[in-house]
This record gives sequence, structure tokens and C-alpha cells, in this order.
Amino acid sequence: MSEPSDRELREMSREQLVELGGELDDVAIASKTDNWPTRGTKPEKRAERAVAAWFVVSGLLALAFVLVYILWPDRYVVPGQDGYVRYSWYTPLLGFTFGFSVLALSIGVIAYQKNFYPDEVAVQQRHDGPASEVQRVTATARFAEAGEDTGLGRRKLLRRVLLGAGAIFGVTAGTLAIGPFVRDPWQGGDNAALWVTGWKSFNEETVYLRIDTGVLGEIVRVRPEDIVPGSMMTVYPFRESDRGDKELLLAAERASDSPVMLIRFRPGTAITHRPGQEDFHYGQYYAFSKICTHLGCPASLYDTQNNISICACHYSAFAMNEGARVVFGPASRPLPQLSITVNEEGYLIARRDFVEPVGPTFWEWRAG
Amino acid sequence: MRRPGRRHIRMLALAMALLAAGSLYALFAPQPQVATAQGDAALLAKGQELYSNNCIACHGANLQGVPDRGVSLIGVGDAAVYFQVSTGRMPLARQEAQALRKPPLPVFDPATPQGRQNLRALGAFVAAHGGGPDRPEQSGAELVGDGVARGAELFRLNCASCHSYTGRGGALLNGKYAPNLRAATPEQIYTAMLSGPQAMPRFGDRMLAQEEKEDIIAYVLAVRGERNTPGGYSLGEVGPTAEGAVAWLVGLVALVVLTAWIGARS
Repeated sequence: MSEPSDRELREMSREQLVELGGELDDVAIASKTDNWPTRGTKPEKRAERAVAAWFVVSGLLALAFVLVYILWPDRYVVPGQDGYVRYSWYTPLLGFTFGFSVLALSIGVIAYQKNFYPDEVAVQQRHDGPASEVQRVTATARFAEAGEDTGLGRRKLLRRVLLGAGAIFGVTAGTLAIGPFVRDPWQGGDNAALWVTGWKSFNEETVYLRIDTGVLGEIVRVRPEDIVPGSMMTVYPFRESDRGDKELLLAAERASDSPVMLIRFRPGTAITHRPGQEDFHYGQYYAFSKICTHLGCPASLYDTQNNISICACHYSAFAMNEGARVVFGPASRPLPQLSITVNEEGYLIARRDFVEPVGPTFWEWRAG
Repeated sequence: MRRPGRRHIRMLALAMALLAAGSLYALFAPQPQVATAQGDAALLAKGQELYSNNCIACHGANLQGVPDRGVSLIGVGDAAVYFQVSTGRMPLARQEAQALRKPPLPVFDPATPQGRQNLRALGAFVAAHGGGPDRPEQSGAELVGDGVARGAELFRLNCASCHSYTGRGGALLNGKYAPNLRAATPEQIYTAMLSGPQAMPRFGDRMLAQEEKEDIIAYVLAVRGERNTPGGYSLGEVGPTAEGAVAWLVGLVALVVLTAWIGARS
């Protein structure tokens, strides 16, 4: 179809213009039926009210969400105590009101579209192959012309400065994106985080074994007589200089290489030691890292009948009475043993840091 | 030449010295460390009778244990007896990796006054042989602490590795498992911590103080029995895996249905 003249365009109705636009894009409307050919019928009004009802419901639920969020009691109540039932409805009510508000809104939108949009089937022809030769050559010439117009081909200074500034900006942006991924694990040399743990003593300060009581800042150091035979207790490093500093205490509890299993074997347990670690224990008291040497989960499913401690993640099993030797599972080396003793006050203390890195093995891993 | 009288004096002095040393020893020597039967004789006699009827075949006449049948009970204490017998683990049904929880013997049912009395008698009898940890004097609700949040922290630190975060239990090696805590009473949780039944480590009162044990009990009670489930349904209380699976299955089906409805011609 040929392009219409200006006069023809001016005289065309809207329907004709739509049809013309479609034809120019090779789109043909196959069928189009109005849902409500006669306006203002009773079913149409009913459909309109139904759609409106969904929007009203959505709005009311959104309002209810805000009211629940502000007014409903949200402080935790122990089951069985007064107000538990009311509290237990807090989260479900938030979920119901918000979720169903969104749902009602979308149902309303979809129902509106389904009820009141005409059903239309349109067919668009597909254009294969490249554009015509003339269009491609002229478009290339346009781009070349635009490049010439910038003048950067002639003005060397501007070009170089612009390129330089762009490059530096690019490097900056790249640094921002990649920088956080770059870490130097060997920072600190022999005291790098991979080599030492919280049990290392600095300035000759005594490192005590400490129990976490679940109360931040409460210090409970361990005496041998506190620990009953056939038991395992998780302990953390504690220095007197940390006392009163909740940040430092919390850091010592949360450090991933800190947790140590303090085990007191039952009398008569047959115990073997790893070579060179025969004096790491204090009587029946043995301290091993809790961190699995496979992938670093806590290996603390301790079975006191056969003295095997299991890691919950992949079921590596360590024979704790044989120097935490691996007896099952994917771990490849024993749990490191912490050398402990009792000081003159009668508290269990660490004699030194672990003699090997704790947790999963890494490329540069070496003992001692 | 010596006079005979002088020799007599020496002998007398030696005798006096020996006597004095003996008396001093008797005064200052430590009391013998032999556990002796305490409590009233009737209770112990009842305990012995119950022991002879129910336990003696595997644990022996003197609680010394019988090879391949039962361990020695010397020094296990009242707490261990209460836990093992009131949960029905003892008497053992058969030798296997795990002692199963089952309904207790009627004579030891902690729900009846007679059963409680018998448990006390049996515990006293066993405790009279070598002592061991005693049951707390409190019972029931008195053993439930106030600090649920601290109990949760201590539970995660000391118990959750085997019993899972909500006390649903989990597998160990060699056919053993940490049991589900859904039916354990406060007394049973307390005595389990105190006595370390089967594979479980013991937690003495100076490792977990009584208040700390009570907080742990409060936490265990707070998260079981389909309570504390803000989503409305706990899905077995085993954590986010089950919840994620349901979200995928139910949620995806709902989305597919919704999408089909949107795309359907009306």
C-alpha cells in the first residue's frame, strides 16, 4: 500500500489511522470483539462491581496490615503464658493481610482486563534477512560522519586526555567492584589469621578456658573439679584484659576458630596420643578444636560410650581418645589438640596456641 | 651395768608414745571414703526388692554388672535410675545400639503415686551403692525456668548439635541416635543432663548450673508440641528445609494455576 498524502491523512478517522499504522508494520487484526456490545447492561454493571470489590478488599487489607503492624502485641511470649495466643497471631496476621492485599489487587487488575478489554487477535508478519543494501551503506556513512564531526581525529590533545580520564575512571569503577573480593590471608606474617587462633597468648598473658553461660559479659573460668567424668563442654579463650569489654568477649565467643571441646574421659578409658603431643592433656582432661578439619562445621556430636565425636555436616567421626584420629567420613586429618594445664590459682589454662591451623585444610597448610 | 628398772621405764615410755600416736591418728585421720547406705531402711528394702525383681538379671546381685548384658550401676546415682526407668528405657527390651524410649513398667510409671514411690526406692537403693548424682528436689513446673532466651542459647551451644535446634533429635553413628525430646518431662530432661544416659555427655551442676538447666528445660518445652509456630503449621519442626520444600511445591503450583488463569481466554 502506498503512503497516503497529507490531505488523506487529515481526513482519516481514528480507526482508519490504527489500521494504517498496523499495515505499515505488517500487522493485521484478525478479529476484535467487544465484550459488552451493548453498553450499560445489568451483567456489565455486575462485572464492574465485582472488579471494584476486589480493589476495595485490597485496600481494606492493606489498611488492616498497617493497623496490625502498629497495634498488635509483638513482644515474644512463652507458650502457656498469658497473651501467648494473641502474640502467636502477630506474624500470621501480617502475612494474611499483606499477602491477600497484594493478591486481591492483582486479581482485581486481571479481572478488569479479562472483563472489559476487547478480545483481539492480531497477526504480525515476520521480516527475515538483513536490511536493504542502500539502508546499510547509508547508515554506515552516517556513523562515520558523526565520528568525523567530533573532531577528535584531528585534536590529539583532547583525544588523549579524554582516553586517559576514561581509562582512570574505568579502573576506579572496577576497583570498587572487585576490591572487596581481594583479601590477603597472609597479612601479619606468622600471626596471620590462618596461622593463629584466639588461643594465642600475646605479651605472655594467661589464656584461660571459659564457659559461655548465655549471658554476655559473665565470666566463668573452668576448674578441673567443675567437670564431671564422661563429659564434654565447649570452652572459649579468655584473657583478664578482656574482662568488662563486651565487644572483645563477644569476638572471642564468635571467632570461628575459638570453640574448643574440653573433654574429661571416664576413668579407665584407653587413651593414645599423637606423637609429640603426649603432654598436651591435663590428667583426664583433653582439649580439642571443635571445628571439623573437613569444611569447618562444629564436630561436636560427642558419643561418650565410645568417645567418638561426629561432625553434623558430613559425618566425619573422630576418635577422641586416640588423638582425635579420623575413623569415618571425609575429614582427612585429626582435630587439632590444644595444650592445657592448670595454673597456680587452679584454673585450666592454655599453655600455647594450637600447634597446627584449625579448621579446613588450605593449600599452604603446614603443622607447627 | 644397767639397772633393770630403767629398761621398764623405757618400755613404758614407748608404750605411751605408741598410744599417743594411735589416738592422734584416730583423731585426725580422714573418715573412710566408703559410701554407706543412707535414708530409711524400709525405702532401701523396697528398692532392693524392686531391683531383685527387675534389674538383677543384667546388672548383677551387687550392681557390679554382667558381661554382655548390663553395665555396673555402682556410682550411677538416683538421677540415672530415674531417667532410665521412668522413660521405659530400662528394663532393656533387647541388646542393641540404642535404648529405646517406651512406656515404663507399670510399677515404675511416674504418672502414678505408687510408681513415683517405687522410682524413689529404687533410686535410693542404687545410690546407696557408690553414690552418684541425685535427682533435684523440685519437680514438674518448678523445674521450668524463666529465661527461655538464655535457655535457647545454652541449648544451641550444648545440646543442638545432636538433638537439633528444636529438640527433634538426629542420627549418630553405629545405629545410635539422639532421641526426639517431644515426650520428655522436665524431670527426665534434668536427670538426663545430670547423668548422661547412654551416648550423651554428662553436665554436672558446675558445668550447667541448676538455673541454667531449668532455662534449657523451659526452651525445650517452649518449642515443641506444635507451639511457637508463627507460620501456623510447624511441618515437623525440622527447620527451613521442610519449609522451603513446601514453599516450592505449594507456591509453584499456585503460581502455575494463576498464570494459566491469566493466560486463559475468558
